[in-house]
Amino acid sequence: MKIDDLEQMESEDLHSLHSAERRKFLKLGLAVTGMYLGGSILSLTSVKNAYGSDVVPEIGKYPYNPHYSMVIREKLCIDCERCKDACVKTNHVPSYGFRTTILEKRRSLGENKFETTFMPVLCNHCNRPPCVRVCPTTATWKDEKTGIVTMNPARCIGCKTCMTACPYNARYFKEEDRAVDKCDFCFLARLSKGEKTTACAEACPADVRVFGNLADSSSRVFKLVHAPETMVWVLRPETGAIPNVFYINS
Amino acid sequence: MKNILLVVVFATCLLSGAMLFAAGEAKDKEVYDEDAYGPQAPIVWVTPVKSVVFEHKIHTMDAGLDCDSCHDELFEMESGAAEAKDDFTMASLYKGGYCGSCHDGSTAFASNTRCTACHIGVRGHARLQGETASAEKSR
Repeated sequence: MKIDDLEQMESEDLHSLHSAERRKFLKLGLAVTGMYLGGSILSLTSVKNAYGSDVVPEIGKYPYNPHYSMVIREKLCIDCERCKDACVKTNHVPSYGFRTTILEKRRSLGENKFETTFMPVLCNHCNRPPCVRVCPTTATWKDEKTGIVTMNPARCIGCKTCMTACPYNARYFKEEDRAVDKCDFCFLARLSKGEKTTACAEACPADVRVFGNLADSSSRVFKLVHAPETMVWVLRPETGAIPNVFYINS
Repeated sequence: MKNILLVVVFATCLLSGAMLFAAGEAKDKEVYDEDAYGPQAPIVWVTPVKSVVFEHKIHTMDAGLDCDSCHDELFEMESGAAEAKDDFTMASLYKGGYCGSCHDGSTAFASNTRCTACHIGVRGHARLQGETASAEKSR
């Protein structure tokens, strides 16, 4: 190209740039920044496909059948720990570990008075289990049929990465097996032998733990979770693990 | 004249302050009389479920109930007597037995509400025992 031709061409410097063009460019940059950060740290553009943090899947959108889950009617828990005892007995849990336990919240009512809430916790058998994703030997996986997060102790090398990955502290290292152990919704000890519920749910005197198939619209768990005017919550929804243990108060 | 007024104001403040302080002290020092109010140590039942607490102080000294409001019709005075009975259950309470005699929703909060007000659980029991242990240690 000759210099004469170049002089004939439209200038590309800033003078010829419309402000609309500049804005478009800036917008693009901000959108890219927001997108790279997943919108979770800093998003300068609005997230268009955001939806309410609905922890209960829509009816008919359960990925498994049976889709095993547990509903915990939290305020009825009295920390009698029969569930823990039953679990220990059924699954041979050593004293230093747990597959399920009870946590305690204390809220001040003023004047040295407290209201206690007990919170039973166990493996949430997440739809997107972080523990499964990190296991280097595929010793833990999500069962394709039932959705239960299962362990194969023989394949576990005891690196404990899954224990770190779990948002619910639901795994412990079992010295006897030289492997990580966790709740399997009593699949090995009970469900596979034809029982319909877990040991903890059966032992509960206050009917706090309700176990069942969420994909079955006639099951009690389904009815509890889909009941009108019910506040349903899960623990640590922000991790995106999509847990299957639901908490209600009614 | 001004000085006298100042002294008077100051003296009044001091006097009323002292009186208020004395009143506060007296309230704190209201003694718990075990003969009138029952044993001070909380009672903890562990059967049929762990663990349920009962405090005489809340019911007698604070709520103003007499001994014969509960003894011996609802509860025998002997410790552990209620626990030994088979019908010491929530079902009995709902029918007006034991605690359910008052905890019916009209006299006191209903037995099927506020579970953890009495059911302190294994954790609450451990905390209670820890508190008494540390209290005894400091004696």
